[in-house]
Amino acid sequence: MSGIGTTERDPSPGWYQRAVFYEVLIRGYFDADDDGTGDLRGLREKLDYLQWLGVDCVWLLPFYPSPLRDGGYDISDFFNVHPDYGTLGDLVALLEDAHSRDIKVIADLVMNHTSDQHPWFVESRMDRTNPKADWYVWNDDDQRWPEARVVFTDVERSNWTWDDSRQQYYWHRFYSHQPDLNYDNPEVADTMVDLVRFWLELGLDGFRLDAVPYLYQRDGTAGEHLPETHAFIRRIRKEIEADYPNRVLLAEANGWPADVADYFGDGDECHMCFHFPLMPRLFMAVRREQRYPVTEILSQTPEIPENCQWAIFLRNHDELTLEQVSDEERDYLFTEYAKDPRMKRHMGIGRRLAPLLDGDRRLAELLHSLLLSLPGSPVIYYGDELLMGDNIYLGDRDSVRTPMQWSPDRNGGFSRADFAQLYLPPLMDPVYGFEAVNVEAQRRNPGSFLHWLRGMLAERRSLPVMGIGQMEPLACPNPSILAFVRSGQVGDPADGAASPSTPRERTQAVLCVHNLSRFAQPAELSLAHWSGHVPFEVLGRVPFPAIAEEPYTITLGPYGYLWLELVDESGPAGERLP
Amino acid sequence: MTIRESTSGGPTSEELLKAVQVWLAQRDPGSVEGLVEPVVPRAATASAAPSAAATRGEPAGTVGGVPGPAGDALSLVEVEVLCPGRPGLIDTVVALDGRLLHLVLGVRRPGDEAHLLRAGDDPVLGLLDDAAGLGVVVDAVRDAELAPLVLEAVGWVGDDPGPPSPVADDPTGTVLAFGDTCMLTVFSWLFDGPNPGVEMLTALDEAGFNHLAAPLARWQRAGRDLGLVQESLSGSAGGWALALTSLRDLYAAGCEPEDAGGDFASEANALGTMTARMHLAMDRAFGRRTGELRAWAHDAGETIRRSEPGLLAKEGVAEAMHLLESSELKAPMLRTHGDLHLGRTARTDQGWVVADWMPGGIPAGADTPAHRTPLADVADMLWSLHHVASVASLERDPTGRSGLEGLARAWETRNRRAYLAGYLGTPGIGGLVPPDRRVVRSLAALLEVEREAVRTAGSGPAT
Repeated sequence: MSGIGTTERDPSPGWYQRAVFYEVLIRGYFDADDDGTGDLRGLREKLDYLQWLGVDCVWLLPFYPSPLRDGGYDISDFFNVHPDYGTLGDLVALLEDAHSRDIKVIADLVMNHTSDQHPWFVESRMDRTNPKADWYVWNDDDQRWPEARVVFTDVERSNWTWDDSRQQYYWHRFYSHQPDLNYDNPEVADTMVDLVRFWLELGLDGFRLDAVPYLYQRDGTAGEHLPETHAFIRRIRKEIEADYPNRVLLAEANGWPADVADYFGDGDECHMCFHFPLMPRLFMAVRREQRYPVTEILSQTPEIPENCQWAIFLRNHDELTLEQVSDEERDYLFTEYAKDPRMKRHMGIGRRLAPLLDGDRRLAELLHSLLLSLPGSPVIYYGDELLMGDNIYLGDRDSVRTPMQWSPDRNGGFSRADFAQLYLPPLMDPVYGFEAVNVEAQRRNPGSFLHWLRGMLAERRSLPVMGIGQMEPLACPNPSILAFVRSGQVGDPADGAASPSTPRERTQAVLCVHNLSRFAQPAELSLAHWSGHVPFEVLGRVPFPAIAEEPYTITLGPYGYLWLELVDESGPAGERLP
Repeated sequence: MTIRESTSGGPTSEELLKAVQVWLAQRDPGSVEGLVEPVVPRAATASAAPSAAATRGEPAGTVGGVPGPAGDALSLVEVEVLCPGRPGLIDTVVALDGRLLHLVLGVRRPGDEAHLLRAGDDPVLGLLDDAAGLGVVVDAVRDAELAPLVLEAVGWVGDDPGPPSPVADDPTGTVLAFGDTCMLTVFSWLFDGPNPGVEMLTALDEAGFNHLAAPLARWQRAGRDLGLVQESLSGSAGGWALALTSLRDLYAAGCEPEDAGGDFASEANALGTMTARMHLAMDRAFGRRTGELRAWAHDAGETIRRSEPGLLAKEGVAEAMHLLESSELKAPMLRTHGDLHLGRTARTDQGWVVADWMPGGIPAGADTPAHRTPLADVADMLWSLHHVASVASLERDPTGRSGLEGLARAWETRNRRAYLAGYLGTPGIGGLVPPDRRVVRSLAALLEVEREAVRTAGSGPAT
């Protein structure tokens, strides 16, 4: 196989360590039945596009039946598909077609809570003796667990809400219409394990575990990251390992890396965890034009088990969360990125990537270069491959959930329904509207951001070390330069990257240099450890001067970046040239 | 003296001195003026310090037994073979014009490949003939293969520290980083006794101050500090460079400093906190004395009058002098850094550090460490914030037509405020500075003018 987008995807264990993930809001992706809402059939029709782009795994936001008061995270039936999105049959067809293109599919799994419309809760709240009476967390007063913080402080005052019919308070870590399940009830825990098995049996390749730190509550604690929660995740992992190999658990635990890393366990809990604190610091670094916001957090990121991987991202379906920064840093980011108060959402910023960067293509490339080269598997939010915009006048987080822009046609090619039927209006402003920014136009234009990103994904795929390699930060006296080497053993058949003409296993090393400044900058790098190697620029295979013992100097243009494969000049010729 | 002559199998004095002579000729000897104490009576030497003329190829004089580049006498003070054979290391201390020059000479087999730490460098200093045969003499700290041997000789006992890379090479000495493991400083010009900078670094480390590269091994002989191994400041960039980054962003944005992406205030605040913690550690390590504000004001006024009297007319100086000279207040005096400015600091992944301790608590114009008000260091840093803003605006807008001066002053005002807030907001610092904030501001302002006067008069540091 050859050519961008047609390379066979990685079928091996550890695939998630090398994969590029793509987050899809089904409701906003493509409407195949003309009812104004995106659906599973619509996504299925766009699989060719995702394959062309070079996506390895699609992450589906919740598609379960739901009153949709929280973007589908308020589930009213865990074992079905929301009728707006299709049927279970549509999902199975989507999975089959995706797998035939070597694209994996994972889905959100909300284990912590349900919608208050869920039949379990409807029954539980009726009285204190019904069969589901203990499926949720009830209490006679609202004073228990005062140490537990309120997550949505702008909406909720307490984690307890009074229920008139049962005459008790119920516990909820998020919205009051999302009661928490009671995992101390073995029936609940067993049912959730059954739920995992149900979806894996249908063919899902794994789950993003939503709000995973909050499953249990204990007196005298903040009710986060409790040992009981870890034990339950280990139980799920064990089930998966036994019957569903090569599936993945991705934890959403918004916390400090050292705390979140606990969700990897000893390699026996989640395969992946989101690295939340990195994201806002990437935005800080490019505004401050210095690397320290990023290198500080990386230096505080612990080693993780060999079979695990971080998931890193620039933007997602939520606000740009600023929970994991100091008050001072949050003020700074609000000043820089949310100049209009309407841009603020909860404790974050409800904007998409491109408007955050003032539409600066150079910055977008720089940040994506970092996203694709820093340790972790990159997660791209739908539409960001086009540098789509947002609509800050829409409520809550709908500002970043507008319809995907496929073409300059009616409704941006998203739906043939009447405009008034659409779940949200597509962007129509002169800068980011669908007439200016859409897939069709960018596919036709080889110089578009879409083509650039596709090329970078292909390059990343050809460099497995970007997924599995160690990261060696490089000293540089210029604070605007962020440079590191990704290196490791690659080419083993298990990597799925070796070909018969290359050695079965070899050391691969890629020097990544980034200029965070709007001005051209010199980078004087200490590369003595790589003395004798020749750097080859990966896109053009252009050889750079060989590295010697003295400092190696590179000049980068404004917001410039370089990926240079370091090739050992002392090896046989056939091994030397990339 | 422990000189070995060729009859005992070692190199001759003449061979070693010639190597030193070449080393001096390769450098700009004029730049080392005034760095060290005279240790050999000036009457014993024949001429002034070697001049820059020597490096321009003018004829060398021949006064004394072995001539220096410009005719001054070189004499061996101390020689120690650190590593015999090939490659070998010979540690050499020579006296030159009353000062002590220290060089680690490497000896290689003729025909060996040189491993330069800097491209285009010429580390070859001459030839010698000893028990191991003919050898090529090189500057060991400019040779990638010999530098690790120096590190080992100094006392490094850990695992392979990684390859060396040059960090700094100035008249004070040569600094090499070994991977992310450690840094080696080999002093070129020695104090005839302990190096005050090393003493200060060590004492503050023991006092629990962690905004520094901790000392790992101290290389001393005959009571003199020859070198130092410190933990690595991995990922560091100089404070001056970081401030310039912020200013470039501001000048390009053309907005208020607080609205610019590269706002430096949080960094300035952290610098203030670091300075305060340094003074609290100075207090623990060296103790305190008490001084009178009136006397400090008087001394500062005298220095300004002597160095740059025109600065006495600067806005606010007379008022500060009046306030302080009429004060009855007394306040603590501490050992201070001596010359704290952005160029001596570095930003690392763990925060700010003082990267350069070489002033050793010796204030500009003084000969020995002195106890002073800690606000002297604060004033130095405030002056540095002013200086970097001015330099950056002048470089970008030499004619002043772009109006960057106004932005520079706004940047300076914001960051001075942030620095002082960080300093004065540090718990415990209130016991080290006068209690009245108006007095603190006046004293800091006066000491800043004093620094400016000393610098304008030509004896201050470059940044």
